[in-house]
Amino acid sequence: METDMSGDLKRDPEALERLSALVDGELDADGTAQVCGHWRESGEARTAWHAYHVIGDLLRSDDLARDPARDASFLSALRMRLRDEPVVLAPAPIATPARRARWSWKASSAVAASFVVIAGAAVLLSRGPADVPVATASVAPVAPAPDRQAAPMVVADEPQALVASGKLIRDARLDRYLAAHKQFAGSSALGVPSGYLRNATAIEGDR
Amino acid sequence: MNGSDADAPLIERVKAGDVKAFEMLVVKYRRRIERLIGRMVRDVDLVPDIAQETFIRAYRAIPQFRGESAFYTWLYRIAVNTAKKQLMELKRDPLVTESARAARDEDEEPGSRVENELTDGETPEAVLASKQIASAVNFAIEALSDDLRQAITLREIDGFSYEEIAELMNCPIGTVRSRIFRAREAIAARLRPLLDTRDGERW
Repeated sequence: METDMSGDLKRDPEALERLSALVDGELDADGTAQVCGHWRESGEARTAWHAYHVIGDLLRSDDLARDPARDASFLSALRMRLRDEPVVLAPAPIATPARRARWSWKASSAVAASFVVIAGAAVLLSRGPADVPVATASVAPVAPAPDRQAAPMVVADEPQALVASGKLIRDARLDRYLAAHKQFAGSSALGVPSGYLRNATAIEGDR
Repeated sequence: MNGSDADAPLIERVKAGDVKAFEMLVVKYRRRIERLIGRMVRDVDLVPDIAQETFIRAYRAIPQFRGESAFYTWLYRIAVNTAKKQLMELKRDPLVTESARAARDEDEEPGSRVENELTDGETPEAVLASKQIASAVNFAIEALSDDLRQAITLREIDGFSYEEIAELMNCPIGTVRSRIFRAREAIAARLRPLLDTRDGERW
């Protein structure tokens, strides 16, 4: 262990100097990533990180010198418990400045989502049974519309819109988009899968 | 001592799933957290368990840590709550009241201190080891050149940033960084034999 440590020290004093800077919080994100990698791989880095902090504690207060040799066994016991914990994955990106990045990301996806909602509404308004061209490719499922003239449902390249009772039109691409981005839809009913909607209709019909 | 954001780079890494970054924070704060818990709990055997529980809770809660206070302030609160909760669960008698704690802190004369440490359940060997470590560090600091000693003292005791130290010492920031590193290495060289774990436990 001893030789291993001193060998490490001779090999990479620059890495230890970076580690020392991180002790003081004077390292950027890239440097921190390097030091974390070094800590992961090198016993010398772990020993140095510990020693540097013990030195700082001791300079500030003598009673923090109590049994620092126990830190290693404390950590290995804690590691056993951390192993059972789910890995933390907070939504913040690691790049700095984190706060601003998170904001713009949220803002832009909100804008994108509302844009799609508007586009979806436009589709709803512009597509009626009357102006649908003749079906040429595969036939999309159409709900029976007993009280209206049944209009043939149309699909060009792929099923894109469904007309139910002449009222409900759903764009398949929009559905997929919303399903994939359900987490951004909040409580909006637009995010609800169509299967759930059918259930609701069935209950109404039973009444 | 460190500024409130000194831990920010490590915390960002923990939030991104780097458990090792959390281990580094544990090594940094274990001693302070155990000292705090030791002031609240009479039964010294409970202290490491409560400290473990504190760090596990902190790990679970770290996605909610917004950096509005210093990480240690946040961790401190978790430790206090964990200690209180565990003590209630165990129904031991144990909470030293605020006033009793304050009285004890005022009592910190050299003579009564060893007694306190011993009543905390520490073995005389542990107390001796602590003293050896403290005197090794003091000796090593005395042996440093003036530049190195001033740099490490301004950083660790006065809590100045590298930029501020550079101004005070009238030298570039890179020199400050290097001086503090060399000071630490010189002290650590004397400290390492005393920090070696008894059971040869590896980090």
